[in-house]
Amino acid sequence: MSRVITITSGKGGVGKTTTTANLGTALAIQGAKVAVVDADIGLRNLDVVMGLENRIVYDLVDVVEGRCRLRQALIKDKHFPDLCLLPAAQTRDKDAVSNDDMIALANQLRAEFDYILFDSPAGIEAGFRNAIAGADEVVIVTTPEVSAVRDADRIIGLCEAFDKGHPRLILNRLKPRMVNRGEMMGVEDVLQILAIDLIGVVPDDETIVTATNRGEVAVLDRGSLAGRAFIDIARRIAGEQVPFMALEEQPGVIDRFFGMFGRRPRGSER
Amino acid sequence: MAKLIAIKGSKDGLRLQLDEQAAWDEVLDALRAQIGQGANFFNGAQLVVDIGERSLAEEQLAGLLELMRQHGIRPESLASTARESRSSARAVGLAARPLARAPESEDRGEAVFAWRTVRSGQIIRHHGHVTVLGDVNAGGEIIAGGNVLVWGRLRGTVHAGALGDRKAVICALELAPTQLRIADLIARAPEGGAGRFPEVAFVENDQIGVEPWETYRR
Repeated sequence: MSRVITITSGKGGVGKTTTTANLGTALAIQGAKVAVVDADIGLRNLDVVMGLENRIVYDLVDVVEGRCRLRQALIKDKHFPDLCLLPAAQTRDKDAVSNDDMIALANQLRAEFDYILFDSPAGIEAGFRNAIAGADEVVIVTTPEVSAVRDADRIIGLCEAFDKGHPRLILNRLKPRMVNRGEMMGVEDVLQILAIDLIGVVPDDETIVTATNRGEVAVLDRGSLAGRAFIDIARRIAGEQVPFMALEEQPGVIDRFFGMFGRRPRGSER
Repeated sequence: MAKLIAIKGSKDGLRLQLDEQAAWDEVLDALRAQIGQGANFFNGAQLVVDIGERSLAEEQLAGLLELMRQHGIRPESLASTARESRSSARAVGLAARPLARAPESEDRGEAVFAWRTVRSGQIIRHHGHVTVLGDVNAGGEIIAGGNVLVWGRLRGTVHAGALGDRKAVICALELAPTQLRIADLIARAPEGGAGRFPEVAFVENDQIGVEPWETYRR
């Protein structure tokens, strides 16, 4: 049974595309057949992150509008022949495709792949709705910032409204040192607000930037901590029990109880 | 007077029921008094005006709409069993619905109970009391005619007594709201976050005050 998974976030710039590229590659390393689909029509990025930009001939809109066959638009990855990219159109916008088009596309891809990952655009409008239309599961990416978590919360509510079940969470760009100093929300703080299952924590890691600039993905870099985190997440998606990397120091019971904002119980001053 | 009008919340929005028998002017007076106290309650809601069997002429209906318009309320449609009322509605440019007399058993009672997280962008609107078993996150909203009880962390916005009842209270296991409103009063949470114990917000001396549940109950 193939699985269609949409990676989304609400807020822009939290790492959806990087996550899609890395998870897609990590699943391919496991030996699965994987398609990654750039659903951010008009602002395509996934091809750049994967270093496949110069191989694009046809795109998603060409497939939907019947100018080419699906197979012609799929681009084989540089390293893994069982990993394919369906790029977004750059010259069109979200209105070029409908929810039904995306559902049909997802179903067509099911015939050939074990995993189909949709990289969603930011926002809650038509582009996002298109990206989740065909999904069996949703993975939410957020960073430990108040605004990103707020948007993730909104997206989780929308996933419930669209009957997409319980999304799972990737907490991206965590800076363990800042968390330990009480300057950044930690894993517990974010989970307390969002109240969904955590599928992975990715530490903030400069190798992501250098890899992206070269059109490579971090999971192929053995020295990349973020890459290792994505490998673990891919294994969890495949159903394996993988322990979480120890990133944060264990906070003391008292610290955890009062959270990170230095909150203390208020007296009767009010 | 309260008997002349009733406000019911449902999944599709709000239903404003106007008494079918009483003199139309009395009904309008009652409505004027009600929305004078809590027009906010209707903000952004899909509102159906239900006049039951009453036959309304065009100018009577226009009067009703004008009253609502003054308070910024724009009903979505008029529901009535009377054909005359429905054609009046169309004449003044309001959608009309034939009224299926719903049996009383469909009434959802005075309180709603939500066992979930109320997330950013979600809203629970109800004419009676609202109980949430779960958190109300920042960006989430509850608007209730009665009391609001949150068995969880309240970080969003709550409006209790939204139809004008200043006796309404808001309770939460952890009260850290973005904003609290009771009837016509608004309060912002003090800076510095909430305590980790149950608290109650209520109106005292024309202000919204907060007290720990342990002291409030006495």
